[in-house]
Amino acid sequence: MKTPDLGRVDAHEKVTGTASYGADRVPDDLAYAMFAVATIGKGRTVSIDTAAAEAVPGVRLVLTRFDEDELRGPGFLMGGGFAFQSLQPLLSDVVAYRGQPIALIVADTLVAATEAADLVRARYEIEPFAVGIDDEGATSVLQEEALPWFPDVKVGDAETAYAASPVQIDETYLHPAQHQVPMELISSVVQWKGDRLVVHESTQNAGALRHGVAAQLNLDPADVDVISPYIGGGFGSRNALQPHIGPLALAARRLRRPVKLVIPRRQTFHTGSFRPVSRHRIRLGADPSGRLLAALHDADHQTSRHDLYPAMYTEITSRLYAVPNFGGRQRLVQTDVQTPGFMRAPNEGPASFAFESAVDVLAYATGQDPVELRLANDTATDPVTGLPFSSRHLAQCLTRGAERFGWQKRDPRPGSMRAADGSLVGLGVAVGAHPVLVAPAVARMSAGADGRVTVGVDGHEMGQGIRSAIALLVAQDLGVPVQDVVVRVGDTRVAPQHLTAGAWGTATALPAVHKALRELRKRLGAGDTGTVEVAAAVRATGHGSPEVEVTSVGPGQPPEMLDRSRAGLFSAAGPVFPDFTAFSWAAHFVEVRIEATTRRIRVPRALCVADCGRVASPVTAASQVRGGVIWGISEALRESSEVDPRFGGFLNTTLEEYPVAVNADIAEIDFDFIDEPDLLLSEVGVKGLGELTMIGVAAAVANAVFHATGQRQNRLPIRIEDVM
Amino acid sequence: MMKTSPTAGRPAGLVETAFTVNGEQVRFELDPRESLLDVLRERLVLTGTKKGCDQGHCGACTVHIDGRRVVSCLTPAVQVAGRDVTTIEGVAAPDGTLHPLQQAFVDCDALQCGYCTPGQVMSGLACLAEGHTETDGDIREYMSGNLCRCGAYIGITAAIRRVADQTKQTEV
Repeated sequence: MKTPDLGRVDAHEKVTGTASYGADRVPDDLAYAMFAVATIGKGRTVSIDTAAAEAVPGVRLVLTRFDEDELRGPGFLMGGGFAFQSLQPLLSDVVAYRGQPIALIVADTLVAATEAADLVRARYEIEPFAVGIDDEGATSVLQEEALPWFPDVKVGDAETAYAASPVQIDETYLHPAQHQVPMELISSVVQWKGDRLVVHESTQNAGALRHGVAAQLNLDPADVDVISPYIGGGFGSRNALQPHIGPLALAARRLRRPVKLVIPRRQTFHTGSFRPVSRHRIRLGADPSGRLLAALHDADHQTSRHDLYPAMYTEITSRLYAVPNFGGRQRLVQTDVQTPGFMRAPNEGPASFAFESAVDVLAYATGQDPVELRLANDTATDPVTGLPFSSRHLAQCLTRGAERFGWQKRDPRPGSMRAADGSLVGLGVAVGAHPVLVAPAVARMSAGADGRVTVGVDGHEMGQGIRSAIALLVAQDLGVPVQDVVVRVGDTRVAPQHLTAGAWGTATALPAVHKALRELRKRLGAGDTGTVEVAAAVRATGHGSPEVEVTSVGPGQPPEMLDRSRAGLFSAAGPVFPDFTAFSWAAHFVEVRIEATTRRIRVPRALCVADCGRVASPVTAASQVRGGVIWGISEALRESSEVDPRFGGFLNTTLEEYPVAVNADIAEIDFDFIDEPDLLLSEVGVKGLGELTMIGVAAAVANAVFHATGQRQNRLPIRIEDVM
Repeated sequence: MMKTSPTAGRPAGLVETAFTVNGEQVRFELDPRESLLDVLRERLVLTGTKKGCDQGHCGACTVHIDGRRVVSCLTPAVQVAGRDVTTIEGVAAPDGTLHPLQQAFVDCDALQCGYCTPGQVMSGLACLAEGHTETDGDIREYMSGNLCRCGAYIGITAAIRRVADQTKQTEV
């Protein structure tokens, strides 16, 4: 059954400005905080002069150092901890990177806090630093040796098979560092209510915030509430504890006042994670018809000195095609930056740009049509594990897309197509895949005598529409109006609030909600299907408001994963499950036009055909596709975080100097869904969509630019000077 | 004789400033460094207007001053003395009925996370009033000062187009 087109359930709040984000609270007696940050690339503070800052009228606190017994390290998210990095500023004199906070100022007003922060002066001992992966002093480790639990993908004997291949492609690609830059700044309002700590902060991981700050401050996690009903964009930037919350909570306790911190846009480029630089060498071995015999993917992946942020590029590049021999080799390059981390399609974006660009080279080298070559290398089983894919409709994505896009009108010769105004026209294709991951979830559901159904569940609403998808499922199941469903997410008072990321949010929450619906129906004396007269059924029970609580885990996940989730720890599983491997799939088609004189590159139209399982919420899914494709266009043509070789850190730290796609950059974005439920995964049949929709777009753009100009693009973003 | 300063009786440097916000008269003693954005959010608790950069780059803080769109983060609040400020909270009818452009944003799903949306609506209203809606290309250009990181641009353009077409029909 198709899901009906119903709108976004929280749109009214958003168009009236009443949706409440992290910093949209102004409690009585509020104080304002601001960080002063390090101005050197690496070293240590010898002394910090705070006298001028303290003399600013209205300043209440200037803190430069906490004791280890009042503020502990938070632990790195990917190392069993809670935070985006292990390094907690204000615990020692070490400056690991430029932009690291060295003092926290709290004042009666924001202007006083800002003025005081500017007056903090530090004397430093400066050490040499490396901010680029090829800089002197950058050091490398082989990931499979340093992090054996994140092994490289290896199938067969790829080196030998490649050496014996009649056709060999050997290309290297560079993907820049990028920042998530959600529109909402990193910000919090932290407040003590007696011994209870209440944190208002937009986060994708309220559970880690709760348990992380509790561990840092030696509190009982049960005494910490994290409230995050709306998030002004996540994209990976808010998926862990950030190091400002602990210091803010301590400042609020000392002052006995609530404290608000809104981190300035410039500082956000250093205070949170970012997509690291990566370099990819792709070698493809094929027979003369383009059938793949071997693939090798070597990646260099930037990380910090203090944490090893793992690379997982080969997870998808080993599975796009029937490649019998695959060799992955990933190196981590340690540089003097804050720890990089997840940004929408963290591994899959750069990996697909590299691999799918190389596949296009192979198509031209063998004289094959790029769509046909991809179809000829399709596979129904996972080449890495030999397990079947839970579902894979990638060939259908390609054929349906080619038809819809008008691919057959494409003249394959580079530089052969021109628009009426003389612009060069290029058409490109690429595919993408995203692993299906599922996390444990707790759902609590109650029905009221007024007929309303309230559901609290693990999940965070960052614009992807999880609240709408949940409300729709409940409304459809019970046959009640969607307005009568109240959804509470992002709140530790209703569920553990495991991390929502990796496009697993809907696939994690919906099975738990589905299960809760079965239990609620029993409590209401209703059958397992059919419309329920909720108000009447509630009255008939004789209880005020019957409530049920259920838990769910991913396929094959042991119930202990739920304990991890309840402890605020990372608990997602996949994409390899006991009986199958699960991925979402997509085909992207892009047209570029390159103006004859200016060489400006435009994208007048793009098409995405996605296999995301069942489409759980058509309106918000459509928006996810458009948004993801825009991210791919922005990745391909706009975004690059430049490092500063003179002073360390990042250089273009404003939304002016870090351009992202604007309205005028976007024209037609078409899409289609396969919309086949994946019932091996769950009864609900959803896979994942939010990240998938950008994976492959950058390669499709680069391949289209090649088709328009004959010039290969092995480095992003593609700029005017690359097509002169 | 002692000179009387206009700020006598107040902490040094504060400036008494009166203006209207959504039709209501307000009066504050302001530090000249306070932005209109911060006064709206922190003093008036009108938090629909958002801070996305505080540097005039993103448009999330767009409000109207005497009917013209401005970025409130770059507007010192003392400069709006005697002027009329309209924020997102003043756009819907007093009975709560959405403005046609707000309704079009809902109907065209012109948003995701919603953080830039108040600024988009305020800019969209101005874009309509300015008449920059002849083509979709015009709308895109004149809405490009308002970033939407979620990428809801197609819905935003469609919502403004819908209201522009409705207005045109009414005029004919």
